Amino acid sequence: MLRWICWKSTVPVFIEQRYSLLFLVSSSSSGVGVSIRLSLRILISSPSMSYAYLFKYIIIGDTGVGKSCLLLQFTDKRFQPVHDLTIGVEFGARMITIDNKPIKLQIWDTAGQESFRSITRSYYRGAAGALLVYDITRRETFNHLASWLEDARQHANANMTIMLIGNKCDLAHRRAVSTEEGEQFAKEHGLIFMEASAKTAQNVEEAFIKTAATIYKKIQDGVFDVSNESYGIKVGYGGIPGPSGGRDGSTSQGGGCCG
Amino acid sequence: MSMEASELHDLSDDADYAASQQQGSASMMRCDSEKRSSSSEHEGAELIYLKDNVAIHPTQFASERISGRLKLTKQDSILFLSWIPYKGQTSNAKLSEKDRSLYTITAVPFTEVRSIRRHTPALGWQYVIVVLSSGLAFPPLYFYNGGVREFLALVKQHVYLARSGEDANVFLVNDFQSPLQRTLSSLELPSSLPVASGQSTYPLDGGSSSDSQGRTSAGVDNRVSQYVSRKQKSHDPTRDLSIHLLEKFSLVTKFARDTTTQLFSENNGFGSVDKRWNNQPVHSYSEKLTNIAEEKDNENHHSYPEKEHLNDEEINLVDVPADPLEFNKLSLVWGKPRQPPMGSKELTAFLDSEGRVVESKALRERVFYGGIEHQLRKEVWPFLLGYYAYDSTYAEREYLRSVKRMEYATLKQQWQSISPEQAKRFTKYRERKGLIDKDVVRTDRAFEYYEGDDNLNVNSMRDILLTYSFYNFDLGYCQGMSDYLSPILFVMGDESESFWCFVALMERLGPNFNRDQNGMHTQLFALSKLVELLDSPLHNYFKQNDCLNYFFCFRWILIQFKREFEYEKTMQLWEVLWTQYLTEHLHLYVCVAILKRCRSKIMGEQMDFDTLLKFINELSGHIDLDSTVRDAEALCICAGENGAASIPPGTPPSLPLDEGVLYPQDDDVL
Repeated sequence: MLRWICWKSTVPVFIEQRYSLLFLVSSSSSGVGVSIRLSLRILISSPSMSYAYLFKYIIIGDTGVGKSCLLLQFTDKRFQPVHDLTIGVEFGARMITIDNKPIKLQIWDTAGQESFRSITRSYYRGAAGALLVYDITRRETFNHLASWLEDARQHANANMTIMLIGNKCDLAHRRAVSTEEGEQFAKEHGLIFMEASAKTAQNVEEAFIKTAATIYKKIQDGVFDVSNESYGIKVGYGGIPGPSGGRDGSTSQGGGCCG
Repeated sequence: MSMEASELHDLSDDADYAASQQQGSASMMRCDSEKRSSSSEHEGAELIYLKDNVAIHPTQFASERISGRLKLTKQDSILFLSWIPYKGQTSNAKLSEKDRSLYTITAVPFTEVRSIRRHTPALGWQYVIVVLSSGLAFPPLYFYNGGVREFLALVKQHVYLARSGEDANVFLVNDFQSPLQRTLSSLELPSSLPVASGQSTYPLDGGSSSDSQGRTSAGVDNRVSQYVSRKQKSHDPTRDLSIHLLEKFSLVTKFARDTTTQLFSENNGFGSVDKRWNNQPVHSYSEKLTNIAEEKDNENHHSYPEKEHLNDEEINLVDVPADPLEFNKLSLVWGKPRQPPMGSKELTAFLDSEGRVVESKALRERVFYGGIEHQLRKEVWPFLLGYYAYDSTYAEREYLRSVKRMEYATLKQQWQSISPEQAKRFTKYRERKGLIDKDVVRTDRAFEYYEGDDNLNVNSMRDILLTYSFYNFDLGYCQGMSDYLSPILFVMGDESESFWCFVALMERLGPNFNRDQNGMHTQLFALSKLVELLDSPLHNYFKQNDCLNYFFCFRWILIQFKREFEYEKTMQLWEVLWTQYLTEHLHLYVCVAILKRCRSKIMGEQMDFDTLLKFINELSGHIDLDSTVRDAEALCICAGENGAASIPPGTPPSLPLDEGVLYPQDDDVL
């Protein structure tokens, strides 16, 4: 969790909540001036806690394809087979580094059941990236991709980057959708494609980061007007070259699949 | 018997001691003492009436009740009311003489009395509430030996006493035209709304015996006709409420004013009251929310150009429009304090020898204000849900259970008998089963009752949901249902009983899961209307920020806060909602209550839809149930008839208006 504070009035920076909590917990009306100063000291020593950009992601796809598990694997680096089904939307966030720039991903994990589509559609607004997930062991989740894509095209901004993920590739023995089919679908619809496993973590990191790299490139190429937040991008402080990013430090853009 | 000639006339609020619950002497009001002192001396007064054993209950605790003597005296043709506590009552160890004398009523002239409200419940003590023209109300005076009727009859001989046209139990002393109008205008509520649906609020007084068939009696036709034309004056619940409103609202304004003018300064002996303000759950709740909100506070760059000014408690850079209801103070006075859960002795007292619930309304009221001890839920929930009829006997219920058990077995057999060959040709069944199989293992598995591999309760949950999807094939299965079923199965234990309780619940909440989401949209719409009514600045803010769809409250409503509270708290909330005591739609007022607690945060930080959604999501686990329910009750009473009118007829959990097509089908989808 990040806390927004201001540095020298001109340079906006985020620091992680645990620091601000540490120092602001005693913020009675008299003690805050001091605590702010302490926070700043932390800040100076950890510039990597700030971000240059914030990207909004949305994870969509049929119920039970592993959307929440992908998110959890990405944010917490763990697989939790037993978790509550998603009602409405859940949030996750993580820092990554692209081109030596710290980027914060704010990820919206949506409920997959058909009935909730009308609600889910309202979450597309302002998303820079989407992970469209299907389950390689359940054919029907692949068959429904077109309708998900239609929703996304209709309700998201046209420049949204979409990553197609064939999840559960650890269950190769139960595979019902071939890698080639996935690739073919992605090619036809202009999506990035990867097979991944939330369980083994295979390609999870890569999927999120590759999507971010694509968005980042679009920014560099001037596709987005980043001052317009309807593109799902918020600008942080922009310039400070962080050494190695947040907790991942990974800039790998590994693609491929595990099929 | 000597009089304590205290110049302070300390009035706690009405019957319910909204605030006085917290501490013995809490919620004191002080009248204008100069004005009163002139009337405190009255020699040569003629004694008109004297009643012993009339008591005031400053708190719920029997040990803190104060008995005294009620007197009517007359001087210069003016009638005075006095109540003097007995001296040196040993049972009142907890209350000092000083505390007790605070309640003393010293010769109040009836020229200052606006009305007297009579409460003569069938069970329990009769009491009266005396409301002054200033709007203040004395605490209820309980007539331990009865005699309220005689008291009023005597008053009537000496002052002009008119029974209120709005409420047969209210006697106006200084008559004025329309309490309702006056009340509503003082609240500045928009009055353009159509006349309310009376059905969405239950009568508070009277007619309780006819209520025995419970909420299932809320017939559709009846409701519609009431909505269309409603001018019956007698037993109009909303009018009854508006009298409450009258009594309480004036109290609120006075309360607010007095508090700010340091009524409770330390040197006047009210030190404890000061403390109460800080310990008040409502207060700490809002602080807590502010804290969470601050923790969550981030991402909102542009609204914080200079965070060095963070030291202000409220980091609102934007002017937040004031709350028209002064909500913070409101619920202190309006919502009743929560009681401890109902125990088995209390429950037994509600049943006659054959097991009928004699006063279903009283039972529902009791549950509304305190919930039920866990081991009794199994017995009470089927009533609340409408599975058992209140007027059924033990034997009838036993019979019902056995019949329903067989019926359940038959229904279950329907899908159990589907062979693999048949299933191959039955896509809808396979899809539903697949969905349910996937979801039951993702429902409350961290909760002991459902944890572990091959948990039998998880299997029961699956069987019930699958059976339900056959029982109600049109509705089928939808995510969120398992969230409702989980506590029901945990409480009922038995599979058949759980199924039928679930069926009863879905009779009302099934529309939440309609394919077209119509039930949800109706409720979200009603919620927006309620916010418009109860907090128009907040409504306008949502409007300007494109948040009027209220999707950020979607999860709250879909599964009635199941994900917002811990398991036990959810059960407490649900049984309160299920009583439908004040309204069928308390859950919407709960939404309003929570939103209002966060209003300055939301508007001050200029949250957009995304930020708001995230903020609301992250309130989960940080909402205090008791104070929220209390706020909701206060808001419901406050909204009164206009609130009821904001909620379209048939809005879930009201029974559907049109029995024709319950669950609109969409052939494209599962």
